[in-house]
Amino acid sequence: MIELDTLSVTFAAGSALRDISLKIAPGDRLGIVGESGSGKSLLASCLMGMAPDAATLSGTLTIDGVDMSDADEETWRPLRARRVAMIFQEPMSALNPLRRVGDTVAEPLRLHFGLSRDEAAKRVAELFAEVDLPNPERRARMFPHELSGGQRQRVLIALALACDPALLIADEPTTALDANVALQVTDLLVDLSEKRGMALVLISHDLASVARSTERVAVMYGGDIVERGGTDDVLHAPQHPYTQGLLAARPDPQAALRDEQGKRKRLPTIPGNVPPLSGLAQGCRFAGRCALERPDCATARPVPHGPRMLLCPVVEGAA
Amino acid sequence: MTYFILRRTLGFIGTLFAVSIVVFATMNILPGDPAMSILGLEATEDALAALREDLGLNAPVHIRYVEWITGAFVGDFGTSHSFRVPVSELIGERLGMTISLAVAGMLLTLVLALSLGIFAASKHRQIGDWGVMFLSQLGIAVPAFWLSILLVLLFAVKLRWLPPGGFAGWDDPVAAMRSLILPTVALALVQSSVLARVTRSSALEVMRQDFTRTARASGLSQRRILWRHVLPNALVPIVTIVGMQFAALVTGTIVIENVFYLPGLGRLIFQSISNRDLPTVQALVMLFAAIVVTANFIVDLLYVVIDPRLKARQ
Repeated sequence: MIELDTLSVTFAAGSALRDISLKIAPGDRLGIVGESGSGKSLLASCLMGMAPDAATLSGTLTIDGVDMSDADEETWRPLRARRVAMIFQEPMSALNPLRRVGDTVAEPLRLHFGLSRDEAAKRVAELFAEVDLPNPERRARMFPHELSGGQRQRVLIALALACDPALLIADEPTTALDANVALQVTDLLVDLSEKRGMALVLISHDLASVARSTERVAVMYGGDIVERGGTDDVLHAPQHPYTQGLLAARPDPQAALRDEQGKRKRLPTIPGNVPPLSGLAQGCRFAGRCALERPDCATARPVPHGPRMLLCPVVEGAA
Repeated sequence: MTYFILRRTLGFIGTLFAVSIVVFATMNILPGDPAMSILGLEATEDALAALREDLGLNAPVHIRYVEWITGAFVGDFGTSHSFRVPVSELIGERLGMTISLAVAGMLLTLVLALSLGIFAASKHRQIGDWGVMFLSQLGIAVPAFWLSILLVLLFAVKLRWLPPGGFAGWDDPVAAMRSLILPTVALALVQSSVLARVTRSSALEVMRQDFTRTARASGLSQRRILWRHVLPNALVPIVTIVGMQFAALVTGTIVIENVFYLPGLGRLIFQSISNRDLPTVQALVMLFAAIVVTANFIVDLLYVVIDPRLKARQ
């Protein structure tokens, strides 16, 4: 349905996505994880045709068999909301503050499907019920500032679902929410994806929610997908040094907080920071922070290999 | 909400009251004797004294204020010294002219400024944006009276499309409209230059907000996003400036009416000042001030209509 083949995005400062290849089939649930600045959100905006104007795209991006990598705004517009929809990080600011949320959700329905005001209102109430908003008719008449963060995110999910998209991209949908609300929202996304047979791309740095809700996962670092495979395989037996570091840096609630001497244990971290675009190595992006680094890692471009796709010349790939 | 409107209404009345005191006081501490300006320098002392008594100038100042302000409430501003008719009659004959000019100027300002401002914002850092910014800079720099003269020279003298000035009354509506075109344009060009810039920067700020991205992701056209989502959110600063501009347009009619020989309040105030016709000047200054205060009062109320969040906060 959606296929990326060696898609790259370059800015004046450097390349922000390198040779990304992905396939998303109907009903797939794919997690994309990585630190801030790894290119996850840029990848998502490419799938909506909403990459920044300053970006140069190369490679191909195919939606329903049509190559969209050079498509202009007018070609993209009919696909948005109807084939690919997206929800964003900040439910606080992602809704027009001057509009009743029901009108915001009704707008694409009326525009794309030509529904009348009453038909659209009826459909909005159904959508609100589908995303578990209590009292749908009353909620629809409220303004965003009258709703809680979790409710706003549900409104945004309803908006994204309005035109029956084949793929829903959720870009860190739960970052701004309380932990238990975040869990409900993630579960709702999985539910909806199963019920509607809708593909889901969940972008997150919360490994737990990705583990809970996706079948496959792609780990990104510095604009590369460094490791990709089944979610369970990758998260339980990470192979790329970066994935291993990312998982090790996760606090384990079961682990003791203090060591034998009674000192507070420090979380293991990956040494160094994500370098800026212009400072990324030409070879492996992780060179300079990697424990397994060989002398030629920084200059030689790694080749993806292994049954589980792995972007590291040092580690032997395994399933 | 009710509390908000109540507070604004009280503020509105209080401001008008303060304005009336300032206007009255200013007119009364002006040097010069109204009686002498009516009768001339050769008048006898007895005649002057009799006229002063007649005009009520000998009463204490607070009594005269109360008489003036209670009269003003029912539309009685006294008698004009130079025209020898009630001031209200003078105003009544000319108010329509000035209000039509100001309202037409405001409408043209809004149409020009909103479309140019939104256009410039949508072409941010492109040639269209620079073009609008250049033209508006020019519009701000050019004084209205000079622009009026240029417009007259081009459209009235050279091309002979429109009358150079004067107004023959509303009996012939087409002719009346034609004589209002140039003054309206002259008034609106300067104001719309300012407002277009405000619209542009306010719209640019809104376009950076996340909900425009949501709108785009919902497959809305850029045009719809700009006019239905960006503009309403950009309105608060725009409406603030519009309120101030309406005041500027009303007072701007003083210059424009004189350049185009239009029988409006602006021309009347100019003549009354030259004639030292104090009751007329006082009434007109009060009227202009009241229009300005009313415009700002309406703007205050509009904020709540535009932004439902304010309703909750009050």
